[in-house]
Amino acid sequence: MRVIVGQGSCGIAAGAGKVYNALEKLMNDQDSFKLGITGCIGMCFLEPIVDIYEGEDLKARLVHVSENDADAIVNAVRNNDIASLSGLFIKDEDKSFLDQQTRIALRNCGIIDPTDINSYKARDGYKALEKVLKMTPEEVIEEVKTSGIGGRGGAGFPTWFKWNAARSSKGEEKYLICNADEGDPGAFMDRAVIESDPHNLIEGMLIGAYAIGAKEAIVYVRAEYPLAIIRLDNAIKQAKEAGLIGENILGSGFSCNIRYMAGAGAFVCGEETALIESLEGKRGMPRLKPPFPAVAGYKMKPSNINNVETFANIAWIINNGGEAFAAMGTEGSKGTKVFAVTGKVVRGGLVEIPMGQTLRHVIFDIAGGIRDGKQIKAVQMGGPSGGCIPERLLDTVIDYKALSATGAIMGSGGMVVMDENTCMVGMAKFFLDFTSKESCGKCVHCRIGTRRMLEILTNIVEGKGKEGDIELLEELCLSIKDGALCGLGQTAPNPVLTTIKYFRDEYEAHIKEHKCPSKECRDLLSYVINPDKCKGCTLCARKCPVQAISGETKQPHTIDQSKCIRCGQCIQGCKFDAISIE
Amino acid sequence: MCDCKDEKIRALDEVLDSYGHDSGNLIGILQKTQDIYGYLPADIIYYVAQQTGISPAKVLGVATFYTQFRLEPVGKYLIMLCKGTACHVNGSDRIEAAVTAELGIQNGETTKDGLFTLKNVACLGCCSLSPVMMINEETFGSLTPDKAISILNDFRKREEETA
Amino acid sequence: MSDIKITINGKECIGQSGETILKIAQDNGIFIPTLCHDDSVAHYGACGVCLVEGEGLPKLMRSCSTVAADGWVVSSETPRVLQARKVALELLMSDHDGDCKGPCSLTCPAGTDCMAYVKAISKGDYHEAVRIIKEKFPLPASIGHVCPHPCEDECRRQYVEQPISIAYLKRFAGMKDLEKDTWKPEVLADTGKKVAVIGGGPAGLTAAYFLKIKGHDVTIYDAMPQMGGMLRYGIPQYRLPKSVVDAEVEEIRALGVNMLNNVKVGKDITFEEIRKTHDATIIAIGAWTSSKVGCAGEDTEGVVGGIDFLRGIILGNPMDIGENVAIVGGGNTAMDACRSSVRLGAKKVYVIYRRTRNEMPADDEEISEAIEEGVEFKFLTNPAEIISENGHVKEVKLQVMELGEPDASGRRSPVPVEGKFEYIKVDTVIAAIGQKVNPDGFDVELNKKGIICADETTFRTNLEDVFAVGDATNKGAGIAIAAIGEANKAADVVDSYLNGEIIPYKKPFVSIRRDLEKVKAELSLREKAPRAVVPKRPAEERKNDFNDIVINLSEEDVMKEASRCLECGCHDYEDCKLIKCANCQEICPERLAGQYHPGFVEEKLVVIERNQNKCILCNLCVRVCDEVAGKGILGLVGRGFTTIIKPEFNDPAMIAGCKDCLKCAEACPTGSLKILTK
Repeated sequence: MRVIVGQGSCGIAAGAGKVYNALEKLMNDQDSFKLGITGCIGMCFLEPIVDIYEGEDLKARLVHVSENDADAIVNAVRNNDIASLSGLFIKDEDKSFLDQQTRIALRNCGIIDPTDINSYKARDGYKALEKVLKMTPEEVIEEVKTSGIGGRGGAGFPTWFKWNAARSSKGEEKYLICNADEGDPGAFMDRAVIESDPHNLIEGMLIGAYAIGAKEAIVYVRAEYPLAIIRLDNAIKQAKEAGLIGENILGSGFSCNIRYMAGAGAFVCGEETALIESLEGKRGMPRLKPPFPAVAGYKMKPSNINNVETFANIAWIINNGGEAFAAMGTEGSKGTKVFAVTGKVVRGGLVEIPMGQTLRHVIFDIAGGIRDGKQIKAVQMGGPSGGCIPERLLDTVIDYKALSATGAIMGSGGMVVMDENTCMVGMAKFFLDFTSKESCGKCVHCRIGTRRMLEILTNIVEGKGKEGDIELLEELCLSIKDGALCGLGQTAPNPVLTTIKYFRDEYEAHIKEHKCPSKECRDLLSYVINPDKCKGCTLCARKCPVQAISGETKQPHTIDQSKCIRCGQCIQGCKFDAISIE
Repeated sequence: MCDCKDEKIRALDEVLDSYGHDSGNLIGILQKTQDIYGYLPADIIYYVAQQTGISPAKVLGVATFYTQFRLEPVGKYLIMLCKGTACHVNGSDRIEAAVTAELGIQNGETTKDGLFTLKNVACLGCCSLSPVMMINEETFGSLTPDKAISILNDFRKREEETA
Repeated sequence: MSDIKITINGKECIGQSGETILKIAQDNGIFIPTLCHDDSVAHYGACGVCLVEGEGLPKLMRSCSTVAADGWVVSSETPRVLQARKVALELLMSDHDGDCKGPCSLTCPAGTDCMAYVKAISKGDYHEAVRIIKEKFPLPASIGHVCPHPCEDECRRQYVEQPISIAYLKRFAGMKDLEKDTWKPEVLADTGKKVAVIGGGPAGLTAAYFLKIKGHDVTIYDAMPQMGGMLRYGIPQYRLPKSVVDAEVEEIRALGVNMLNNVKVGKDITFEEIRKTHDATIIAIGAWTSSKVGCAGEDTEGVVGGIDFLRGIILGNPMDIGENVAIVGGGNTAMDACRSSVRLGAKKVYVIYRRTRNEMPADDEEISEAIEEGVEFKFLTNPAEIISENGHVKEVKLQVMELGEPDASGRRSPVPVEGKFEYIKVDTVIAAIGQKVNPDGFDVELNKKGIICADETTFRTNLEDVFAVGDATNKGAGIAIAAIGEANKAADVVDSYLNGEIIPYKKPFVSIRRDLEKVKAELSLREKAPRAVVPKRPAEERKNDFNDIVINLSEEDVMKEASRCLECGCHDYEDCKLIKCANCQEICPERLAGQYHPGFVEEKLVVIERNQNKCILCNLCVRVCDEVAGKGILGLVGRGFTTIIKPEFNDPAMIAGCKDCLKCAEACPTGSLKILTK
């Protein structure tokens, strides 16, 4: 038997490392079972997860495991009495989270040991590369074209076209670059792939490099992903040792080196020309296009850039044929897409499904709907470049065009679900705060424009909005879209435009009535203790982090509004329902 | 003649050698430099500039463009408070309010005792556990203001015990 | 390279393949504004001002960097482009913390470039100072004597200690330049157009001066025996010796302006006659009728209007005022009247004013000087009745007042204290409470108050060829420099009218520092250097004659005073690309006012002064330093909105290299970089 602990970043954050250490401590030389790790299965809401395998059969999946459960697990495995762990078994409804998915990019995640190349090879790993090395680059590009895959970083631009452009560009020296600078807050599928299946990325990149004729491939990976960097580093070393990276790969005559570079914290480096500047050791400020990277990219040589998820699909496409991939999805959007579903949903995690399903299906059927019996208000897609799609449009299908029609975008796959208590003006402000901080500062429309939008939005959520602010925001939005230099600036207005489009009444309530209908904007609300209900238990006063609550024991308490930071601690603690938000 | 500073310079020289003193590797060099010094001291920026042949203005430009780099020393514990979308939706503002009130510092500042530095960061990628913060290498998820404060107190206790 | 054809703004243009839209536009004489582009460096695309829209192309393009393709049809003036450019300029201006012009100049109704002429004076170059002043009006010495100098009220030096003595400096320079080789403007060739200016006061003289310079045949018609209007007849000698007015009038006459005195329109010549014989007419007749006191007995013998009283003195037949005189009013005319009464030998001179000294519109200095000369101020009183004896003024009954709530002007309005009166015995009452326009003989549209209506941007009356400026128009009497300001602008409008197409006056857009507190904080750190005191003759001496009361400063003191100027205005105003672009289309940056990027002034960077507050991050200085000078001394620091540009020197060789270069400052499109004089 094998006891496998899920060790993605989420799992570790939830305590998987401690679970692993506890298990390891309890094991001894006589134990016949093996302890191992895997990456992230994507069911983050159940972490830490421990899988028990008999051969290749999954005997049991234990969830919310703590280090205190280690004893029971070791005993159960030793005694072959898995049933004794039934209290930790995954519930059927939670199983449906995975069962409803179709996994291609994530096919190995949470199954194989990401630190072991053989674990990858055992699941057809590097077979596609072998196959490709016997094909011509043109045939490879043709196969990718048949699959219809588009760039999974957000725009969905046909991958074959970029490959073909880079291949056709004149010059011997070409580069293949993987954009692993997953910057959209709320998206973490690329991190999961690198942490859980790094060889899949490497294989996809090698195929791409072969297709365009690059002898060097670089992964630009986010600095905030230390575990991904460790696993990628390890995987590259293993692949080199196995002769899969380097000179004359598998005796084919094709040579390609792969290295990685860690980013240093700049969202704009997800923009391909900024990424190239950063790779060259400079400030990550976008270049003007044209020339496009396919003509003059890294070191001004032809370069091709795809994101992690795109590469993660390539080996599967080669192994199963482009047509099998194209059989899934819609007319304009082929294959599957991975979403990071988070926010106010019951089951948050990674969801890979064929294109063409509805948002409602993802949020309600797969992710289990909204927590705490609340109402869904909207879903944010595409991060800072995307928009908020209201509940009434949840039957929109997942398709590049259909999502764009709402004002949001497919984006890299972040799907943040918001309930009735999320203020949409606050959301817009949140994103503008993000983009204005992440603006590189080069072009005027983005540098000052996003700043001014943030200032206007800040005024609105603080109750200082003015008549005409909404119109001014709209005007700024359109001009910034037109005038900004790169994708960051051109899409930065989207969160504002969509929230104004669908939730104008919330803006108006803030401006005209100085009210936040979602009761979220701190400057527009106050916490008040109802003296009739307050029993003077002093719990709230003790919980208050800023000592804003005072009162005698067994006497009604009061909140000093000038001290209150509106953290909501008191309301959560009150057992008598005596505190309300006005 | 072997004091600490020389050791650091030697380590930095090794880094520079390993990157071939190449200007294209500036970001990697600065990352390793920060690993050695804990931050990027002004004189070291000049040293790196001289060693890589990049003008000091350009090195400083890179060092101030990326949020990872610090030009000032940080506290013993670097609190990276996630301000990603999922964390925002799940109340990271309240966590920030509680942490800043508890420590008496704002984003980017260090406590007087030099123990904590608070830094708001874009998504840490642990969205399903939101709201999240990371203290040095350790990640803490599903925070409430209460829980965040008790985590800080744990670190303080740890300090007192070792002292 | 092969030829390509593209259409820009409807014009077919030929360019070479590989050339950018901007390059082709420039080569074909089409102006597309840009701030961050310079041919000497690689394109960058930061400013977003050079945007163009191409037919059939979804996105706007940066013309500086977009390589044109054969057959393209692009425009830099579509509504979408103009909107994006407008927002770019508004955003830039909202973050541009600098003053184009000093507040002195912006406050001056004539827009005189105070900073520039004060600077010339600080170098002892009075000729140049007068040249600068005469860009706006031809009477520097006269106005220097009398102007109530709103410029000084706004002078930023007051936040260090006291404002610059701008008016006196102007007077000094004006007088110096009159001594010899007076500066003279160039007069353009005769246009064959004839202009009549009715009224030879400051406004009329100014309008005549500028229209003459532009080559028109100008005739001034004036009802009085000599030119100068109120400068001559409304202001006492002790403030403005008439020899000064004479000298400046002669300068204007010498340019070829025809001056006809003793010609009263409606009596000596009809308005119609003048219109018939001229291509355009400017009415600048002023406001020469005194308002009455407004109480019982106001028409009694011994009650006289302030300006009538003053005029009598100038004309050499002062009225007999007796021993006791009361002046009603609190303005500068009241001061002129009371101080003239002292000089005519009155034993007791009262000024009756219904508010307190704080509310008095007269210059504070004038009030002090009047008190020194023995004038008694009856504050918070108002004439209730002028009592006569034998048909002559004997006594004034004064209603005692108190201050109530502030009125629309912000001044607290006086309210009578019921039943409380005072009496003063007087022989003469001088009413200096206002002036009215007498439009008799002019068949033009008047407003409700009987003042001539003139358009505020064209100065045109209801008659196509008739314009009107100064005290005779709209709001009525004001200060001389305000009338002059209108005359100056009207001269341009009339010139455009004579050239066939009237171009209304448009106030140019200028950048103004919004954050006065920040300005004050910066200035409070300056080293103090007190304002020069212009000495006056002792009161006991001066009150006996009408001679000039001022004792002139030495040249040394004048230059020292002038060198106190903080030079708030921008050194680069004339060449600034940013302000040129901002004036290309209507913009309103105030609506986008927000925080400024962090900025400070580095006073000495080898030979450059760098004002970060004005920087628009076009990065040209950095790029020029890298690409043209090959030095790499400058770099961007920080990210996004808080980015600034900073130099980093680490060896003397770099500093030495910087010294002789100056290319960065030459490339700067704004006044952010200033070359320090070596």
